[in-house]
Amino acid sequence: MPIRLLILAAALVLLSSRLSAETLVTALSTERVSIESNFTGAGVVIFGTVERDQHTVARGEPYEIVVTLTGPLRSMVARRKERIAGIWINRASGELPRVPAFLAIATTAPMADVAGNRVRAGQGLGFDMLPTRGLPDALPPVRTEFDAAFFRLMQKEGLFTLDEGSVEFLSPQLFRAPIALPANVPIGWYTATVYLFSGGVLLAKTTQDFSILKGGFEQTITDLAHRQPALYGLATVVVACFTGWLAGVAFRRD
Amino acid sequence: MDLYLPIAEMPMNVFLLLGMGAAVGFLSGMFGVGGGFLLTPLLIFSGISPAVAVASVSSQIVANSASGVLAYLRKKTVDLKLGLYLTLSGIIGSSIGVWVYGALRGAGQLDVVIALCYVAFLGTIGMLMTVEAVRAILAKQRGTPLPVRRPGQHSWIAGLPLRVRFQRSRLYISALPVVALGAAIGFLGALLGIGGGFIMVPALIYLLKVPTTIVIGTTLVQTLGTMAFTTFMQSATNQTVDVILGLALMVGGVVGAQFGARVGQSLRGETLRLLLGLLVLSVGLRFAVDLVARPDELYSISRMGGG
Repeated sequence: MPIRLLILAAALVLLSSRLSAETLVTALSTERVSIESNFTGAGVVIFGTVERDQHTVARGEPYEIVVTLTGPLRSMVARRKERIAGIWINRASGELPRVPAFLAIATTAPMADVAGNRVRAGQGLGFDMLPTRGLPDALPPVRTEFDAAFFRLMQKEGLFTLDEGSVEFLSPQLFRAPIALPANVPIGWYTATVYLFSGGVLLAKTTQDFSILKGGFEQTITDLAHRQPALYGLATVVVACFTGWLAGVAFRRD
Repeated sequence: MDLYLPIAEMPMNVFLLLGMGAAVGFLSGMFGVGGGFLLTPLLIFSGISPAVAVASVSSQIVANSASGVLAYLRKKTVDLKLGLYLTLSGIIGSSIGVWVYGALRGAGQLDVVIALCYVAFLGTIGMLMTVEAVRAILAKQRGTPLPVRRPGQHSWIAGLPLRVRFQRSRLYISALPVVALGAAIGFLGALLGIGGGFIMVPALIYLLKVPTTIVIGTTLVQTLGTMAFTTFMQSATNQTVDVILGLALMVGGVVGAQFGARVGQSLRGETLRLLLGLLVLSVGLRFAVDLVARPDELYSISRMGGG
């Protein structure tokens, strides 16, 4: 029995030392982005250090960092227009049952140099590897024409961004990744994931949650619209009638 | 200065919103129409989702028609009974419209239906108005008066059952065409985000023979009632009314309308109708071109179940 425990302990030490050869410590510049009435976009910075224990031998390959900022998951549908009887109308469509509403990817180097397709497919890392249905797989996901259109349009709207080389090392261990949040950034819970690669191998990964929420007044209005829709509708009608009446009185000419 | 719109979930320049409200309000004051048929497309072209645009414009129309109704009530040129008939039937049409709106949105065919309706209605009404105004102007130049329409045309309307007396309009007509007209305009109002004044006014004059002096005030009563209901329904069922967006448009709109009304009174009737006809026609054409021309982007994405 004691021998067994000893072996187990030794295995754990070995295992942990192998796992903790490099560890990532990361922090977000903000835990909560609040959208006020003058919101026109914001920025969030992800800081991190690569911690090495004493026994780790120096690697021949440099460290590479990939940071992803993933927005709330949504079910989307992509549609294609076709000409029917002279006019263009939506015909065929494809569903994307579980895709993020926002995805910003920042790296230290071009994605292809950071890691190979197999590694990235397993992590669902990159626009070409992000699964649109289900979880990441060892094989790259199969893309339909609707998936392709989705990724193209999301990039066009600025909701999917890839910024290769924007993550910079301030010292051999310390890095920072600035990510811009556009004005049309979706509301909800976000996950910041930091990947540490070296020589195409994933060494460590951290995740952190943060939220993008509407500010006090904006949130009150949204809450009212969703929780008390009838009251909200009634209030809107009263405000409209009052505005009209006020204008009628203010501009009365007789 | 950008203003974040909480329901549309995007910022928009507040001066652009006030300006659009004022420009459309100016035109609506000048021509005596609601202007929803201009404002809704303008908002959609500036990036607000059709769902939020259509629903929020209905609140702006409420404000505009409320100030109009007050003015006409003071002048006592409103047939309240006729207005009530039109409003009640308009509410029925509007309920159906809000439901159809949601169904089309889910099926991804809302945009094309809106565009087709705009082409059909704006094209037809714009064409009729332009032709009529040009003929009136030409006749005036030649000095030959247009033949006066004799009462008693449209005898099939006069022959319908369920007659009701509308004293203020000096009419004794069947309730059926009144209800049908109100319902049709309520339906279109909810579906397209328009008040429907530009359809209602000619319909009341030419089909029901309501005296011209009564027409605009009565139409405004119907617009106010139906659009207040539509705003309520869009809030309650689709939750797409952005009160901040609506308020910015209202403020611009009611101010613009006052100046428009002054310009409108100094213009001649035919000129006014010609300008309005051309305006309506050009918006219709814009939609027609978008439908027929090959779009730059064949694909579109939206959230499942609408949005």
